[in-house]
Amino acid sequence: MPTNGDTEVKVVPVRHYGQWVAALVALVLVAMLVNTLFSKVPTGQFTCRIVNGTRRCHEVSEWRFTWDIVFRYFTTSEILHGLLTTLELTVLAMTAGIVLGVTIAVMRLSTNRLLSATAWSYTWFFRGTPVYVQLLFWFNIAALYKIFTIGVPFTHVTFFTLNSVSIFTPFVAALVGLSLNEGAYMSEIARSGLLAVDEGQTEAATSLGMTRSQTLRLVVLPQAMRVIIPPTGNEVISMLKTSSLASTVSVIELLGAATNISANNFETMPLLITASLWYLIVTTVLSIGQFYLERHFARGALRTPPPTPLQRLGRDVRGVMSKFRTRRGVAGAAP
Amino acid sequence: MSAPMVEARGVHKSYGGVEVLKGVNLTVVRGEVTCLIGPSGSGKSTLLRCINHLEKHDAGELRVDGDLVGYELRGSKLYERNDKQICAERAQIGMVFQRFNLFQHLTVLDNITVGQIKVKGVDPEAAKAKARQLLARVGLEGKERHYPSQISGGQQQRVAIARALAMEPKLMLFDEPTSALDPELVGEVLDVMRDLAESGMTMIVVTHEMGFAREVANTVYFLDAGVIEESGPPIDVLGSPKSERLQSFLSKVL
Repeated sequence: MPTNGDTEVKVVPVRHYGQWVAALVALVLVAMLVNTLFSKVPTGQFTCRIVNGTRRCHEVSEWRFTWDIVFRYFTTSEILHGLLTTLELTVLAMTAGIVLGVTIAVMRLSTNRLLSATAWSYTWFFRGTPVYVQLLFWFNIAALYKIFTIGVPFTHVTFFTLNSVSIFTPFVAALVGLSLNEGAYMSEIARSGLLAVDEGQTEAATSLGMTRSQTLRLVVLPQAMRVIIPPTGNEVISMLKTSSLASTVSVIELLGAATNISANNFETMPLLITASLWYLIVTTVLSIGQFYLERHFARGALRTPPPTPLQRLGRDVRGVMSKFRTRRGVAGAAP
Repeated sequence: MSAPMVEARGVHKSYGGVEVLKGVNLTVVRGEVTCLIGPSGSGKSTLLRCINHLEKHDAGELRVDGDLVGYELRGSKLYERNDKQICAERAQIGMVFQRFNLFQHLTVLDNITVGQIKVKGVDPEAAKAKARQLLARVGLEGKERHYPSQISGGQQQRVAIARALAMEPKLMLFDEPTSALDPELVGEVLDVMRDLAESGMTMIVVTHEMGFAREVANTVYFLDAGVIEESGPPIDVLGSPKSERLQSFLSKVL
């Protein structure tokens, strides 16, 4: 409790008038936006009827946002199938991308020049070309390679042969394109994580007699995860949305399903909103998952783990309550 | 007398053109404590790191327990040992670092068991029992479930000593083990090291703690600019230094 000599004095907090005005303006703007979401607009058409012998006309108006259409299609099997395809693409491409990325990052940090140059070239190539182009490339791969053959280079010895048209279905083309592209980005993320782990950790592991792969698996990677996870979470969310490019190589994922429907009923905007709402829902779920994953890998790095949102809410409520109590106490105590 | 635990003959080491060790000779007798003293940059840590092959020495002969470090002599050729053999060699040499280097993501107990389980293939329950026993020995019962960031520097260094001892090493290397500690925490680490010396462990200690060197060491080596300038029992080396450089070094640290 602040005191002035022996007597307690009242504390007057700083009033942020500018902040209050700004908050008010923001509130008004949000209210205006919400209003447009649930307002009607005039159509320019009139309906008339005769009431008590006189003809009364009024202009017909309709909802600006046709939420009924948005939600009519929200859980149709077409949209849900599209959503499932989007999730499959995201999960599979991210998994492949992470595995590829960590491998490329380890190769890049290798003392073997050939390995590190290969890794560098991979990243250079796949980061240097648009992912959209890569998808089209894999979709049309049969134009370059009609068949894939595993054998000894520059000889006629072959072990087995695959027909590229039968392997590279639209889904596989999209998956391969997204995975390889993601691998390039993930490799840089993984590399930054590996570099962030103190060299002393590697030395300590080495001095215990651990092999290089044990040191990587048991000591370096688990600590690198703390640095790797936040940008990887970003990548997952980014992938969720980038997978909509697959619709351009005739994979019917979430956006593809929505545009397919609107091509028939011309309700373009409502169906784009349907798709967007699903993207938002999945992103929200992913963000929550990321929070708990980060908390898990922060073990040992922080003396006290960050509070969960529920804990933080509880703390805020307690804080506000105690603030009120203190103020009253001070006011009461002051002469 | 049995063969020395460590024997160095004309060991050289350069980093990118800078010669850090310029022909070092050193003999560490089994069961004895050897202290390496000298100004910073004199090559003390480098010598220590060559002994467990964290660094490769460029020239000279370096033997631990009679075996050449990192090489095998067959006929008239030196064969570089493969990774697996080098790891097996290192597992028998404990090392304690200036900045502790405990595994930050593992609890105190897991720090002490991970090497036993993954490198030596000890059964996890047996490894835990041994870890608890070692924690008691360094005076840290009840800290098993703490993470390194939750305990003091002195406690971390004692855990690091326990982690190294868990591998049952035949030789312990200490690289300035108290230099990163607050003054009031130095004593607890030195006490553990003193007990370890009394138990007969062969130890090489790079240190600036002259009191510890005088009291515990059997032999003190003074390194300066990559060569051993003076060596012998602490009474002689620290008590009546002959070379001018050692005299000026001691006048600065004492």
